[in-house]
Amino acid sequence: MSVVELAGVTKAYETKVAVNNLSLSIDSGQMFGLLGPNGAGKTSSIRMIMGITIPDSGTIRLFNQPFDRKSLERVAYMPEERGLYKKMKVLDQLIFFGELHGIAAAEARKRALAWAERLDIADALGKKTEELSKGMQQKIQFISCLLHDPGLIIMDEPFSGLDPVNAALLERTLLELRDEGKAIVFSTHRMDQVEKLCDAICLVNKGEAVLSGRVREIKSRYERNHVIIEFEGSSDFLNSQEIAEVNNFSGHVEIRLKHNGNAQKLLKEASSVATIYRFELVEPSLEEIFIQTVGGRADA
Amino acid sequence: MHNVLLVARREYLEQIRGRAFRLTTIMVPAVFVLLIAIAYFSSIGLGSHRHLVIASNDANLANAIRTELLTPKSSKRSSESKPPQIDVLAPATETDRLVLQKQVQSKSIDGFLFIQTSSSAAPIATYTSASAADLTTNGRLNDAVDHAVVDQRLAGFGLSGSETSALDKGVKIETYQIRRDGGVVKSNALASFYKGYAMAILLSMTTVMYGLNVARSIIQEKTSRIFEVMLSIVKPSEMLAGKLVGVGAVGLTQILIWVVAAALILTSSLATAYLKGDFEIHFSWVEAIMFPVYFILGYFLYSSLFSGIAATCETEQELQMYTPLAALPVWLSFSVILVIINDPNSFWSVALSLFPPCAPIVMFLRMGSEIPPAWQFAASIILMVISIWAILWVSARLYRIGILMYGKRATLPEILRWLRYS
Repeated sequence: MSVVELAGVTKAYETKVAVNNLSLSIDSGQMFGLLGPNGAGKTSSIRMIMGITIPDSGTIRLFNQPFDRKSLERVAYMPEERGLYKKMKVLDQLIFFGELHGIAAAEARKRALAWAERLDIADALGKKTEELSKGMQQKIQFISCLLHDPGLIIMDEPFSGLDPVNAALLERTLLELRDEGKAIVFSTHRMDQVEKLCDAICLVNKGEAVLSGRVREIKSRYERNHVIIEFEGSSDFLNSQEIAEVNNFSGHVEIRLKHNGNAQKLLKEASSVATIYRFELVEPSLEEIFIQTVGGRADA
Repeated sequence: MHNVLLVARREYLEQIRGRAFRLTTIMVPAVFVLLIAIAYFSSIGLGSHRHLVIASNDANLANAIRTELLTPKSSKRSSESKPPQIDVLAPATETDRLVLQKQVQSKSIDGFLFIQTSSSAAPIATYTSASAADLTTNGRLNDAVDHAVVDQRLAGFGLSGSETSALDKGVKIETYQIRRDGGVVKSNALASFYKGYAMAILLSMTTVMYGLNVARSIIQEKTSRIFEVMLSIVKPSEMLAGKLVGVGAVGLTQILIWVVAAALILTSSLATAYLKGDFEIHFSWVEAIMFPVYFILGYFLYSSLFSGIAATCETEQELQMYTPLAALPVWLSFSVILVIINDPNSFWSVALSLFPPCAPIVMFLRMGSEIPPAWQFAASIILMVISIWAILWVSARLYRIGILMYGKRATLPEILRWLRYS
């Protein structure tokens, strides 16, 4: 089932077009990455999905229905800039957000306690928000979004400020939520996480969708012109005519071949001057696709 | 409506539990009591601890003036004031005057009264001191000299001391006020005025204070980016309404605490013992009803104005630049205080009491003298409600856009564009 559907959505602020004719579709049980450089139009798109701003043209559908504030009761939103009341006690705050989402106070309390246990933050419930570390506040914000059991979860940079242990905990939780059938949209600059977690992405640049679809499908569109070599010996082969770009990490190199560059020829050249432990032809990472796509457009 | 109440409840509980609320609830009445006490004790008698000299070529007159000055004007005050030290220098000459001037200059005395009598003309009296504006001392001196001179003249006509005292005994006019319900109550212009003045100050302070509280709360939510989260759940109008209702309820709670505390104190036996005679104060039911009414109206006027302004600001420092906007009507209202005292029904008194930003304060200053007619209350309330509606209309639009605009202060053309867009 399509949970979010944007069709030809445009939003302009005074002289700047923030989002231009954007179309995308997100299904239930899907982890969706909304990507793009700073100022590309990600936050503007999210604000329109959340009904904070209204599109100038185009349509937005939530849960297969035309946009309606009522449907926002099934949506969770965690903005990039975390917003919690600093002076409020954590549990009071969670109950308040739960009640705003239409849950009775007692039920909100019960769910808050359960989530706090799950995210290993039960000790913080009696404290004021301002007394907590940034990472803990992040978890509280995360819980406040989930109390009403939303069908769609939208998160702007959900991993920023989290240490590796907590980032892994959040990743696991998001995957569990996805497996429960919830649609999860997140925007991030961390391409490794997108690659690891997302089923589909939409890359936005200057307000327009420049790349969208399932991650596997997108990656398969790009030729396998990346090579990873682990070697010992001379690195003279790095001057090969087949190579367009090299990242040399002493004994481990990541190479982008020229268009129509020949990997076999490069292997021969390398093995003639060095001992090769690993030679792997790989597809480009999402980060490279991102830089290539956005950088190419920016140059154009 | 559910969300409005939730936002209001959160705002109310957070402020009520805050240290600022506890502090202002205790401090404001304490400061009031202190100010009233200072005003009261400083007005008692001839400035206490003062050292004065009465110099005259007529020793009898000088001594008579000294006796007058040391005689308490009311038995109540005599027990509370410390009498000044008054020396008599008689007979005194012009050389003595120069010596006394030097003593004032060196602060060994506070002032001296120099009175010269002659058989052919009226006595000439001068009072020389280091301070020019001691109204209490000047008034008491005038009274004392008048009485002593008249007594001396009457004695010259052969009247005895008790006869002269009986003759120059003043007549005290007792004032009564007829209330709208026809009841007659003993009134005191000064006490009534101070009552109106105190209520007007309390009203201006609370409305502006809580109006600015709303503004500060908006800026805090804007800087902590909580709006992004809140606006995904509630509408901007619900947030603004909840905030206004919540903070307003905090103000009403504080006023209720003050009123109950004041009622308990004023009805205590100690207070009733003190607050009688000149200090007897009557509170009418009109004042009791109008105080919360004007608080609510004044609060909504200022808070709706400041919520719009706050939405265009980035920091509390920026907001502070706009605080004179709130202070301006307060200054204007108190600057016409003399006009209101002289004639609470004059054109300017009535006009300002209908002008919405000044209405709460001026109405209470007027009520200190007499209760204005009902139509004027009705007109001022209607005008305030219309103004609140108009300001709220503009502010809600600024709020809707302003709270999502970060990074820089909005310029006037931008603000005008926001109004047009929304």
